[in-house]
Amino acid sequence: MAIYSFWIFDRHCNCIFDREWTLSSNSSSGTVNSKQNEETAKLLYGMVFSLRSMTQKVSSGPLKNEIKSIATGKYRIHVYCTASGLQFVLITDFKQQSYTEVLQYIYSHIYVKYVAHNLFSAYDFADNKNETRGQGFRKIANRNFVQSLESFLSPMIVQ
Amino acid sequence: MSSKSSGSAQLRSLKIMGEDVWKNRTEKVNAELFTLTYGSIVSQLCIDYQRDFQKVNKQLFSMGYNIGVRLIEDFLAKTALPRCENMVKTSEAISKCAFKIFLNMTPQVTNFSPEKDAFSLIIDENPLSDFVELPMDAMKQLWYSNILCGVLKGALQMVQLECDVWFISDVLKGDAHTELRIKLNKVLKDEIPIGED
Repeated sequence: MAIYSFWIFDRHCNCIFDREWTLSSNSSSGTVNSKQNEETAKLLYGMVFSLRSMTQKVSSGPLKNEIKSIATGKYRIHVYCTASGLQFVLITDFKQQSYTEVLQYIYSHIYVKYVAHNLFSAYDFADNKNETRGQGFRKIANRNFVQSLESFLSPMIVQ
Repeated sequence: MSSKSSGSAQLRSLKIMGEDVWKNRTEKVNAELFTLTYGSIVSQLCIDYQRDFQKVNKQLFSMGYNIGVRLIEDFLAKTALPRCENMVKTSEAISKCAFKIFLNMTPQVTNFSPEKDAFSLIIDENPLSDFVELPMDAMKQLWYSNILCGVLKGALQMVQLECDVWFISDVLKGDAHTELRIKLNKVLKDEIPIGED
């Protein structure tokens, strides 16, 4: 299995974190919170957003139907949504079916610990109305967060 | 790490889940330390605001709000609960999961409004107000545990439930029960990116 990139979106439809690995041989290659990824982030959000609303429309029964992964010809997108509106998105190859546990771990042991419980980090990444609905630009730039995410994900980049 | 998909979490009863999380995945601290810490916060606020208890209530509420907006992430990470579809479900999640996990108590849910958009929590063993006896002047105006209202308001707002939360009665004021009221104003809409509508 290999992972290609990792993204976090908040409830204001903004991308608040992105990490892309370019060389699978080097776990520290690639970009973190890059400006160049802005457009890609918007497209990725849009894709997940549309498919998410579609899956919810075509489901029946009392339980809400949540999207888990989207597969294309070249890669698979794994999505983990929380009730507070955060979306954790991981793009990988086909070798492993489910990354739900990985994403859940990132949420509960890395995001909650270093962002939600860090009183000096914003809990809401949109400062005012102009930064909601996908127009925000603020990112998680928390050193502890980036470091522990890196060390958690780096064994998975090539395997 | 135990994995619970949102589906199976719903099938198990909330009560069992709350107990499980509290038992196995919550670090415990001494309740007395917690009670005394809260007591010192309230008494310091009373000094700072020169016993203007309305201001103290307000400050406790806003401190609670700031805690709630962060605590909700912790709660969701521990329980993996999906959004609640109605206030009945919400009340269960609050009393059986949230209060159980964070304060190890299960307040009783009562007094549903006919429209089922408001309910009361009866908090019988409130750990915040152990050992507390309010002075005469504070008894009239101070809502000692007002921080709880703020926490609930902030946490519910993060899951798109815009609510009013306030105390109706408090044993510290000589009432029979401590009753906290939650009223839903509006279910907030999820945002959509600009250009999608």
